[in-house]
Amino acid sequence: MKFALVAAATLMTAMMATHTEAAEKTLKIGYSDALTGAGAVYGIPQKQAVELAIGQINAAGGVKVGKDDYKLELVVYDDKGDSTEASNVARKLIDRDGVKYLMGYCCSATGGAVASFIGREDVIMLVGTAGARAITAAGNPNVFRTRPPGDYTGAAAGRFIYQQGYKRLGVLTTRDVALFTQYRDAMLDAYKKAGGTVVAVETFGGQDRDMSAQLTKIRSLKPDALFISGYVEQAAFAHRQARELGINVPRFGFSGGSAEQFLRVISSKQMDGAWDLLAVEFNADILGPKAKAYDALYRKTYKAPPTPNSAYAYDQVWVLKHALEKAGTVDDLETVEKALHQLPIPQEALLKYIPIDGKMFDAKGQAYISNGAFKWVDGKWVYQQELPSDAAAYSKYLQSVKN
Amino acid sequence: MLVEFFQQIFNGLVTGSIYTLIALGLTIIFGILGIAHFAHGSVAMSGGYLAYFLMKLLGLPLLPAAVLAMAAGAALGALLERVAYRPVRDAPPINAFIVALGLTLIIEKLNLLLFGFNQIIIPNDFSGIVQIGQLAMPTLRLFVLASSVVLVVMLTWIIQKTWMGMAIRAVAQNRSAAVLMGINVNKVSMFVFALSSALGVAAGILIGALFAIAPGVSEGLVIKGFAVLILGGLGSIPGAIVGGIVLGLSEAFSSSLISSGYKDVISFLLMIAVLIIRPEGLMRKTGKS
Repeated sequence: MKFALVAAATLMTAMMATHTEAAEKTLKIGYSDALTGAGAVYGIPQKQAVELAIGQINAAGGVKVGKDDYKLELVVYDDKGDSTEASNVARKLIDRDGVKYLMGYCCSATGGAVASFIGREDVIMLVGTAGARAITAAGNPNVFRTRPPGDYTGAAAGRFIYQQGYKRLGVLTTRDVALFTQYRDAMLDAYKKAGGTVVAVETFGGQDRDMSAQLTKIRSLKPDALFISGYVEQAAFAHRQARELGINVPRFGFSGGSAEQFLRVISSKQMDGAWDLLAVEFNADILGPKAKAYDALYRKTYKAPPTPNSAYAYDQVWVLKHALEKAGTVDDLETVEKALHQLPIPQEALLKYIPIDGKMFDAKGQAYISNGAFKWVDGKWVYQQELPSDAAAYSKYLQSVKN
Repeated sequence: MLVEFFQQIFNGLVTGSIYTLIALGLTIIFGILGIAHFAHGSVAMSGGYLAYFLMKLLGLPLLPAAVLAMAAGAALGALLERVAYRPVRDAPPINAFIVALGLTLIIEKLNLLLFGFNQIIIPNDFSGIVQIGQLAMPTLRLFVLASSVVLVVMLTWIIQKTWMGMAIRAVAQNRSAAVLMGINVNKVSMFVFALSSALGVAAGILIGALFAIAPGVSEGLVIKGFAVLILGGLGSIPGAIVGGIVLGLSEAFSSSLISSGYKDVISFLLMIAVLIIRPEGLMRKTGKS
């Protein structure tokens, strides 16, 4: 009897010890994004993509950090795409919720605002879609971004337009989003260096959807080609109004909008022949079986197609998982940062990243994907060719600038 | 050059007609009740969404869907007046101001929850373009312009020719005297909100057909609406019409002659200039409502 009691006690102790050693824990991840307001069209799909990745990771047992299995849990706040709100949200997440990992940021304004002070905080920031160069150019060791900056793509686009034989370009772009203005400036610079003439640079604001006045002016200057860039909600109207005004020259652009998003505004016929010159974001047709599976899962879960930008943040969740597993800690952020800097491209990543020295991120925490030219054919964007762009050279340039 | 001039006139008139519709709704509320109804843009968007879903779910054509949505908008306006604004009518103006801000947030959130985050375009049959030489006038824009004119004429008729219109004018001129003359001020203010909201919904539908209804769109519209109000004269119906057109044309021509980058700056400089030279607004007579 005495022996049986001792044996039972020993067994219970052993079971408790095992339980303690392989405890299932929860790792809170702060999530800040535009869930209302104009940016919601990018913020909500990005959040949904993050939730999909977290669901997949948790269903497969979570993140194995040392002997512990961590289930990931999102703490979500709406930053409305507003820089002040995003800064407040970041403070709330860090000070009140005590999170050590921040994700989200679909907009340059919010991502840029938080990145400007996050270097002093004891957290790691994983940025998705926000494209302002300063987010990574600032050189904070705790900031990592999957989307390449706008000017990385813009320079390649400028050369491409000139090479197509168009010597006089009319330009209509959004004026207040760093991603687009940096892309535009690099595009114009490369186009002019190649020998092109820019007849007009017209702009539109945050919520404008009537660009007919600007397009009327551009029409009177008789360009060979038109360049339109901005978020799809506005770019689609600019394309439509250009056609309505009888501007029939070839149209190039940068928006990253899906075919579904364009077709809500403009007919397929009006879009025929237009180009979108951008980093090769999520596209189920060209990114292989993993992308197709993601596309199917997203559609099944949210009853809508995934937006092209959604994959940036989806990939960040896998980046974090692998970095934590490699680091073997969730609390020692310096070790996690090192693991992130050393991380190879995760096999689950949807986008085709270009490794820098064999790593996912360069020294400033910036990742790169290839740039491509898409043409509108029969109701959808069809990949035409890669835009020659040198990620390693751009990375070197990024190391030399601060904003 | 001449073609560009006339094209910009057309562009400016279409944009201005939309500003006018938004400003008219704001001006009758402000002129009569002294309330800066910031939620007007959100109500307009709600009506646009409703018309879209009536068309989509019930298969209604644009016109019946618009009439139903305007009726629903009128009911919502009356409800807002009764539930939100009337309780603070005699309180300090800051109370109504805070109510207006709160309503804006609530209605915006409701729009997002009910109708989603994607921009919505109201389907219509106007896809043609009337071409006179190089002057291009899309039929949809002509429809928006014509609809705005019809709505302005209807509003003017209601205000000038009906008994309720007379009561509205009486309350605007002197509320105490109107009460003494037996006018039910509660009824008048509820009617004004209903009328303003129906007009706002009509504007929302036209904006939804010509451009889009989406989260964030209403904020810009309300700002422009208030700019028109100041330009034309607070509470003045002719002022809202003239102010809307002046703002639309100034935006078109500042894009054309200077740069689109300064479009809004120039429009607001114009507004400041009017405030300095003619503080009562372009169309408002000094000392009268």
